[in-house]
Amino acid sequence: MKRFLKIFKVAFQSINKNRTRSLLTMLGIIIGVGAVIMTISAGEGATLQVQNQISGLGTNLLMIQTKSEHKAGINVRMGRPIDKKDFDMLQKNSVWMPQLSPLVAIGAQAIGPNGYMSTTVYGVSYDYFYITSREIELGSFFTEEDVKTAKKYCVIGETIREELFPGQDPVGRQIRIDKVPFTVVGLLKEEGTGGMGQDMDDIVVAPYTTIQNRLFGHQRGYNLIMASALSEDHIADAKIEATELLRESHKIKAGDEDDFEITTQIELQEITGNITGILTILLGAVASISLIVGGIGIMNIMLVSVTERTREIGTRLAIGARESDILTQFLIEAIVLSLVGGLLGIVFGIIGNQIIYKATDFFIPTAVYSILIGFGFSALVGVAFGYFPARKAAKLNPIDALRYE
Amino acid sequence: MPSKKVIETKKLSRIFKNGEIEVHALTDVDMVIEEGEFVAIMGASGSGKSTLLHIIGCLDRPTSGEYNLDDVRVNELDKNKLADVRNQKIGFIFQSYNLLSRTTALENVELPLIYDRTGQFSNTKELAKKALEQVGLADRIYHKTNELSGGQQQRVAIARALVNNPALILADEPTGNLDSKSSIDIADLFVQLNNKGKTIVMITHEPEIAQFAKRMIYLRDGRIISDKIIEDRSTKEFALKELEKPVTP
Repeated sequence: MKRFLKIFKVAFQSINKNRTRSLLTMLGIIIGVGAVIMTISAGEGATLQVQNQISGLGTNLLMIQTKSEHKAGINVRMGRPIDKKDFDMLQKNSVWMPQLSPLVAIGAQAIGPNGYMSTTVYGVSYDYFYITSREIELGSFFTEEDVKTAKKYCVIGETIREELFPGQDPVGRQIRIDKVPFTVVGLLKEEGTGGMGQDMDDIVVAPYTTIQNRLFGHQRGYNLIMASALSEDHIADAKIEATELLRESHKIKAGDEDDFEITTQIELQEITGNITGILTILLGAVASISLIVGGIGIMNIMLVSVTERTREIGTRLAIGARESDILTQFLIEAIVLSLVGGLLGIVFGIIGNQIIYKATDFFIPTAVYSILIGFGFSALVGVAFGYFPARKAAKLNPIDALRYE
Repeated sequence: MPSKKVIETKKLSRIFKNGEIEVHALTDVDMVIEEGEFVAIMGASGSGKSTLLHIIGCLDRPTSGEYNLDDVRVNELDKNKLADVRNQKIGFIFQSYNLLSRTTALENVELPLIYDRTGQFSNTKELAKKALEQVGLADRIYHKTNELSGGQQQRVAIARALVNNPALILADEPTGNLDSKSSIDIADLFVQLNNKGKTIVMITHEPEIAQFAKRMIYLRDGRIISDKIIEDRSTKEFALKELEKPVTP
């Protein structure tokens, strides 16, 4: 053990003797480990953010829509549209879905006294606010009664307020959506960026009846029906129930495929989780290539070092070092180089994460397992790429090594 | 009372095979060197003196013949045991010193003790200091090797050879890289160490340095052609005086 410590000291001395070279050798590992930590953490951060926003929508959410298929890059509706008949039927018969709301969406221009902007107008019923758990900042939501009577009321998001009523209270004011005047009754609480990167506050919400009557001029199908299950535990029940009710009312024979699709919040989370997970693995893999390149750098320098120090190795062998002593010394040198590089890389990665957070407000939690991966990988690189040069050093013939010029 | 044999070789031969060609580097070398001797081995290049030194130094093994070093039958040892014998019984001194650069004299001298497996040396620093005192470098302990002159570097190397108290000090052209004055100093240091009981074998091709030894072995074509006691040993004063004589063509 004491001898091992001495050999460790010898290895450290020779790293210290060539400080500039050692640092440059480590640079590959520093960047590699830093990159691994930063990419994995960024992936984790993205996953976290997406998941947060999706669960912010309400984890009990179900979305019922007409079955669509991708054809030549366009979503083509396959079945009959989900409509008022479906909605009424579900509202009447459903046990597990206490809240249901139709949703019709239209891209439109919203014009206010101080400006205008293109936005998406959502036509919904009162339950929408409950299902999506959106809260009011100023004023109030429109009521169930307002929906029934198709009042020209709307609730707007913060982004719309900024454009149309900069620095003002919009409640009670009028905006025009495609030439139809609406009275703003409420301002939604700010929610920021959504799971898919969309602005959750770039939104105008109005009674679906009003949108259908005034903007569409017809009462055909809805884009989808939003529903919330009784509780998180009953999402599956709700999905089964909705499927059975809709199959019955659409008169789909047993064995035939559904002409509608039901997506739950949990499925949405799983899908996005999978996507970001794959992304993280991919980015991590790319980053670990730089670690391997760093390892090759270490091997390269160690090989140069062995050649350069042939005489030293010969001397050590002559005064009684065993092959294993030389092997240990050079292996330790390589491992110390890559571990110190790994530690510096961890620091570099954590600082990098903080800088990105400060600069972009994109929170990156430094994943503990990314540190372990980075550190473990750098140790592995040290052993793997240090062994070959160390073996070469240990196998030198002492007589030839002593004569080496 | 007969002295202890440090080196004993019987019919020592070393043949190098290079494809079809066989080179007989050493042929039937019989040699006994006893404790307290100071032997100079001389010979032209190609005479086999380096090969002999490598075998005596346990860096190489004979093709045939027997070699005993301080009662150890070297022929039978494996690689690791050979390394241990080199560590415990031999102190090497090289022509080009072979010190670690940018490392202090003390750390260089400590080096053989790092590889010791017997655990007999507890205070390596003290031992290294003592060895450096013996070669007259007490005031240069913490100097780095590149801050020392050639003669001083060779002294550090000698201290390194002394530090583990070996049975045999083996010097390979120890003055080959030094100026005449420094060469004489080193040769004189060997005489002093020998007077304290150290057994020294030195390879050299400089007759005036060999003249400091007690006994001279002359090799030619891998055989010992002469082995005699030196009657008129050189001294430091004599050699320095010789230096001042004008060279006559």
